[in-house]
Amino acid sequence: MNIRTGDSGPGMITDLTGRLATGEPLSDRERRTLATATDILALGMAADEVRRQRHGSVTTFVRVANVTIEAAGTAPPRAAGEIRLTGEPASRDQLLAAVRTARRAAGDRPVTGCSLPDLETLAAREGVSLSSLLVDLRDAGLELIARAPIDRLSDAFVDVIRAAGLPVARLTLEEDPGERRLDVLQRVARLDNTAGTIKAFAPLPQRVDPAVPTTGYDDVKMVALARLVVENIGVIQVDWGLYGPKLAQVALTFGADDLDNVSPLEPLDLGARRAPLEEIRRNIRAASMEPVERNGRFEVMAR
Amino acid sequence: MTVASLVSKVRSGERLRPAEGLDLYRHASTHLLGRLADEIRARKHPDRVVTYIIDRNVNYTNVCVARCSFCAFYRPVGSAEGYVLGFEDIFRKIDETRALGGEQLLLQGGHNPDLPLEWYEDLFRSVKARFPAFRLHALSPPEVIHLSRLSRLPVPSVIDRLIEAGLDSIPGGGAEILVDRVRKLLNCYSKATTDEWLEVMRYAHRAGLRTTATMMYGSIERPEDRIEHLMRLRALQDETGGFTAFITWSYQPEHTELGLTEGTGVEYLRTLAIARIMLDNFQNLQASWVTQGGKVGQLSLSFGANDMGSVMIEENVVRAAGASYCMDEIEIVRNIENAGFRPKRRNMHYEILGDPVFRERAVPRILTLAVARQEQDQPVPAELAHYQARSRRAKTQRND
Ligand code: SF4
Repeated sequence: MNIRTGDSGPGMITDLTGRLATGEPLSDRERRTLATATDILALGMAADEVRRQRHGSVTTFVRVANVTIEAAGTAPPRAAGEIRLTGEPASRDQLLAAVRTARRAAGDRPVTGCSLPDLETLAAREGVSLSSLLVDLRDAGLELIARAPIDRLSDAFVDVIRAAGLPVARLTLEEDPGERRLDVLQRVARLDNTAGTIKAFAPLPQRVDPAVPTTGYDDVKMVALARLVVENIGVIQVDWGLYGPKLAQVALTFGADDLDNVSPLEPLDLGARRAPLEEIRRNIRAASMEPVERNGRFEVMAR
Repeated sequence: MTVASLVSKVRSGERLRPAEGLDLYRHASTHLLGRLADEIRARKHPDRVVTYIIDRNVNYTNVCVARCSFCAFYRPVGSAEGYVLGFEDIFRKIDETRALGGEQLLLQGGHNPDLPLEWYEDLFRSVKARFPAFRLHALSPPEVIHLSRLSRLPVPSVIDRLIEAGLDSIPGGGAEILVDRVRKLLNCYSKATTDEWLEVMRYAHRAGLRTTATMMYGSIERPEDRIEHLMRLRALQDETGGFTAFITWSYQPEHTELGLTEGTGVEYLRTLAIARIMLDNFQNLQASWVTQGGKVGQLSLSFGANDMGSVMIEENVVRAAGASYCMDEIEIVRNIENAGFRPKRRNMHYEILGDPVFRERAVPRILTLAVARQEQDQPVPAELAHYQARSRRAKTQRND
């Protein structure tokens, strides 16, 4: 049997989340209790309170044009607030050219792209330092690195991106850490983000085994714990495209305050009420929050 | 009353009046509604058991004269896409269901004017002759009313004849919203008024059948209509005690005449929670993962649900309206245990049948849902020639 019965009742969870929020250290046993807690309502209530203290009822979202490196010149949809280059770069020259091309096509909208470990690999392959590659990308017009998966990086990455002046849009998790979730979150919480070089933290895994996907409980627990533990990154984000409207919306009531990767398309055949923009606003309002559109620089675009 | 005083009223086990329920539904936070519903669930089910059933949802025909505006499943009489399942098709589905440990068919379909009462009686009898222990959870109240109109027999006689033929219980479909103003707007008033729907259930309960109750919310009704719906169910349950469970799901708008948008995940969890609070005389509430997906379906277990519904082998109605989620027994059990509950298999009466089948013997995994019929299947089975048709088209075909 694989039944998780880590909870010792709502009182215990509330006590632990309270201590966590004040930065008090927890014993190994208490950490395990929280990481395996099934009283998601106690976790959610605590996380929602912290979220509201920090962001009130505002929920930001960004409409993203995902453009492959090979197709960087494609004109992005008018509604996109971020142009994100995706895919693994074949070479430094190819990537720099793609950034310049995307930069021209983007107008005044920010161009983001790449995963930091991919850039590490590229730098090593080309025999240049990661720092110099980042500086070159910045100079070519890349405004933010799209993602930095914490479970693929050493903590030193923060110094490198700070020195290069190229921030990371979102710290991500590649795999589900399972019962190690609190350890991972505490590692994130210890990163030095005083300069604000990490804009957001997306605590839900980017890769999921389709045969054994994470559950709803796993997901909302991770979001709630991230909100309670990770104070150094104010934006807790869920990927709308990856996690879908239902889970992403529920996550807003468990501590998330930002929705990434909303489609910039406005398909005519869906009708105004079912277009992505209306759908996301409706979902945010139905969670008793106020929708605020931002761009890839995390600047408010429209309320 | 303030939310705080409503909360104490619920916590002390007092029954909420409709206006109080509406206030709580409108003003309490989502977590608070969940907490109250979860406390009631824990009081009614202190053993932390979450149940599920292995059965198969079979839609015997999609031909329907009711034409509800929210339905993407039906086809009008004469449509090239219309079908009726043959008895042999249904037997094959039962064989497949039994191989997975299932002991029941949930049998529902359109109001097909060319399927007389005798067709249903013969079907039920032949199922029982071949599979004596197999249960038939069949024909929602509007289908019973349709048969009553078609056969010109009163509802009680139709139910009695169906019981005689092998009907075991009645599913609570077709309730939509039990408020006639809403039913008229959804074009489902003529298939069954609120009173008619309740009357079928009342008679079925008196005749010794157990039934479920449902609510489809999120189309054009208001929150107060949802509360009124719950009140009508609560009143009948006080009277008969015949409902075993309540299931709510959100209207699925894809490919329907009505259109509009689907209710959100948070709205589902809030609606489930208020149902648990208001339906204080219902023992069981199901999670509708079929419409909400596995993740929000699992979260339902913290918002008042104590049952994961059915392992889905086949589904046609919700899929026609855009949603297609699949969970086999292994996945349902994994979700129940991950949420800290003990999974148990049950029957329609919520009697515990045992532990998961896949832990006792190997069962095939189901990673995609079956459909009612395959491309190569005959749309009209040969045995239909033996039954009287009502539509001109079917009459001509059957006389040929
Ligand atoms: S919901 Fe049922 S009765 Fe209404 S049109 Fe669809 S199949 Fe017919």
